[in-house]
Amino acid sequence: MSYLDVANSSLLYVLVALGILYVLFLSVLFLVKAWKRAIALGITKEQLNGVVTSSLLFTIVPSLAVVVGLFSLVAALGLPWPWYRLSVVGSVVYELMAADMAASGLGFGSLGELVKAGDAASFGTIMYVMSFCALGGLLVLFFAGGKIRKGMIKLGEKNKEWGILATSCFFMALMTVFLPVMLQAGKVYLLTLGTSALVTVLQGVMIKKFNLKWLQNFVLANTLILAMASSVLWTNLFA
Amino acid sequence: MKIEDKYSDSINRLGQMGILGAIAFMLGIPTIICAVYDIFPNFITVAKSSIGMFALFTPILVSEVFSYTPMLGSASYITFITGNIMNLKLPCALNSMNIAGVAQGTEEGDAVATIAVAVSSILTTLIIILGLILLVPLQPVLQMPAVQTATTYILPALFGGLALSMVAGDTGGDYVIKGKLLAGVLPFIIIFVLNMFIPIRGLEGVAILVMIPVTLFSAKFLYNKGIITVTLKNDSTEEPIS
Repeated sequence: MSYLDVANSSLLYVLVALGILYVLFLSVLFLVKAWKRAIALGITKEQLNGVVTSSLLFTIVPSLAVVVGLFSLVAALGLPWPWYRLSVVGSVVYELMAADMAASGLGFGSLGELVKAGDAASFGTIMYVMSFCALGGLLVLFFAGGKIRKGMIKLGEKNKEWGILATSCFFMALMTVFLPVMLQAGKVYLLTLGTSALVTVLQGVMIKKFNLKWLQNFVLANTLILAMASSVLWTNLFA
Repeated sequence: MKIEDKYSDSINRLGQMGILGAIAFMLGIPTIICAVYDIFPNFITVAKSSIGMFALFTPILVSEVFSYTPMLGSASYITFITGNIMNLKLPCALNSMNIAGVAQGTEEGDAVATIAVAVSSILTTLIIILGLILLVPLQPVLQMPAVQTATTYILPALFGGLALSMVAGDTGGDYVIKGKLLAGVLPFIIIFVLNMFIPIRGLEGVAILVMIPVTLFSAKFLYNKGIITVTLKNDSTEEPIS
């Protein structure tokens, strides 16, 4: 069997489908458990329906971007394996880099050269390399996740005001890293960032001025679509 | 045992079991394929090919766990298992807490973020399956230059709006935090200057891990001085911006 025969084999499709079903099942378990918990904590069904609607609407566009990424991997890795990798722990950049490093480890100049050579054994190496390198985060989360979560909740209970401020600092730290990097990444990044902020402000004003509470659940999804569309305009004008 | 502790233990156990299952699939699939097609790779080759990637990605992945778990709570399990964190799951979780008017790091925020990430993960999985089924008709559309350009700029398209929710200043659920942006001034300047000399792109997880104590220190200092204040919301009808 050749490299692409193994990469597109029915057995791999079946195994990957099982892996995906497992992730779906796990997501449903988390959803049910957290839903019951939220209701027990006094959060209303209306609030939760708003959360679900907003999350679904927001998820569509970034998920389509994942599908775009999937297409970029298919030529080199077949269809089932990128499908699995992008549904579990994956990101397009990571998967491409991992596959490329595996190719150079096998003595090929590029991933393309490896595929051209057609050696099925190379596919085994690629699958292992891509899996091993993604394990670090999951293993740390396995041991530290519960402790971090409990620590954050205890901090809030110990000193409510400082706890609230301290937890908001994590998001602030995230922004203080991403914003300066994006501000210095070129005109298109800057203008897309600005458009995203502007679209959010405009929607915020509309919600307050015209009492459009229903719009609240659409804000992030609308912002994402309009700002991404604007990036095409900015690229044509300035890049 | 308190109800919170019971839930906490049960969701952590589910998360840990979930991780073990995900790892079993991640390693089990290559093992079965290699065994059936008799293509087991040489251990030295796998080690040689993995070492660079492992050295590069492990610190990033580990620092992401320490940076994002305090914001995500128990949603972190399903977030890290399903991936696509920065471009999908984290913004989705943060937005959901804003929509529900609950704070990060609380029991309420934890439950709401978990619901949002679980719903988002289910939909992403279904959209990818649909993408696979419609692979042939979709390919020309999704590979159009305009679509490729737009997907390149997904992060700035998200972060402009998200940054604004920080400026809005009421991400504290029942509390209003005034002046908290000042706590971000020092880390912002540090990263801005540092990025001019050492490009941070791709190492954001590590940079966030370093900036968390800097931001916390700034916040504590300004809070003790009374420059940042945290007070109970008087007007419960106030709406978050996003």
